[in-house]
Amino acid sequence: MKWVGIGNRFRPRRWRSYAAEVHLSFTRLAVLSAAVVVLSPLLRPPTSDTYPLSTYPMFAGDRGAVHSMATAVAIEPDGSASRLSPELIAGTGEVVLASVTVTRAVRRGESAALCAEIAERVEPGRIIEIRTEEIDVVALVADGAPPLSFVTEARCRGGRE
Amino acid sequence: MTAPAVPTRTDVVRVLVAGYVALWTTIRATDLLDTLDFAPRRLDPVGPLAFLDGPLPAVVVVLAVIVTPIAAALMAVGRVPRISGPVAAAGFLLITTYRNSWGQLHHTENLVALHLIVLALVPFVRRRDTTWAMQAMAVLTVGTYFLAGVAKLRISGWAWLDGDVLRHQIAFDNARKEVMGDPQAPLGGWILRQGWLLAPSAVMTMVVELGAPLALVSRRLAALWCGLVVAFHLSIVAFMAILFPYHLLGIGLAPLLPVERLGATVSGWTRRSRTVSPTSRPTG
Repeated sequence: MKWVGIGNRFRPRRWRSYAAEVHLSFTRLAVLSAAVVVLSPLLRPPTSDTYPLSTYPMFAGDRGAVHSMATAVAIEPDGSASRLSPELIAGTGEVVLASVTVTRAVRRGESAALCAEIAERVEPGRIIEIRTEEIDVVALVADGAPPLSFVTEARCRGGRE
Repeated sequence: MTAPAVPTRTDVVRVLVAGYVALWTTIRATDLLDTLDFAPRRLDPVGPLAFLDGPLPAVVVVLAVIVTPIAAALMAVGRVPRISGPVAAAGFLLITTYRNSWGQLHHTENLVALHLIVLALVPFVRRRDTTWAMQAMAVLTVGTYFLAGVAKLRISGWAWLDGDVLRHQIAFDNARKEVMGDPQAPLGGWILRQGWLLAPSAVMTMVVELGAPLALVSRRLAALWCGLVVAFHLSIVAFMAILFPYHLLGIGLAPLLPVERLGATVSGWTRRSRTVSPTSRPTG
């Protein structure tokens, strides 16, 4: 197939046959339609995201260095906390979905309900905590620094009631 | 006897895109079916499913997860194109929209869904020359990157270029993985310790995204831009462990590239293997 860039469409009209004209018009219409569709999210606020016509805001804003992150941990017999996987937290392998699930549960006052859901997925007797941790994300990732502080939102014990 | 048809770019792109969709929907079937076990309170419908006020019936989800890869495979091999194309496009849009309706918007399948819709329209347009489809798909590809660049300017302004926003994004994404018990990206900590690299990385990101429309100007610029895009996605994997397989494998970029040569090579191999009959082989 010959490459047909946008630029080489502008040749004198007399050089083209009628059929070629019709084809060009159709191609232009298709290209214009695609451009209108894909750029239509520009009419929405940049953070108003949806699917499949996204504004692609995911890496656009400055998140800052210190964050409150909701998560779920298991409390070990020595009192230390160990991280749970996204599968145990939200029944999915997807990290972001697991994170959104805990964050929403905390925000909506549903921490106890989520704790009970997680408890069904871990071994009986294991203590689960839903926590909101204050984290310097740059220090954590660059140097392995621990959370600055945390608040326990809910606590429950593993195994079906 | 007529000579076998040489595959056009549209043929090759159709095989790549529909083949990718068939494979993706098969591999991700269990993830897609996981939504059946999610608590209904977690539903947050988006896009074409924004009207939902409760989860879809399980039978609809299961049927879509089964039918979509089959339709996509048929579309890839060019069978019943007027049925397989629309079914694959509608099925893919349905299951990916539903998957995005539980609190997390993925940005990895947007372009696939849009490309699939264009390819599904091809059999309904009575034209031998399908250049229009390739050009429309190229505009969709370029448009998504351009939008991502514009979003950075709209939200952060030119301050995005100083590298601080990128530092915090890389750190946040890796920290979230850590907190959720998932491994960090292989070079996430390293890039944050090399502070001087972040501003040039931010500038390169903007060059790739805002410069995307230049890929429509000439074949050479298209090839250059596609190379930059692949490098860009490799760095996202290294620093954030976020995989955009459709883009990284070059399938999303295929409408911009002379992939018909690939098709001609493959069909040449096929023809040669057919013409070498057992009787014509040396018996040694």
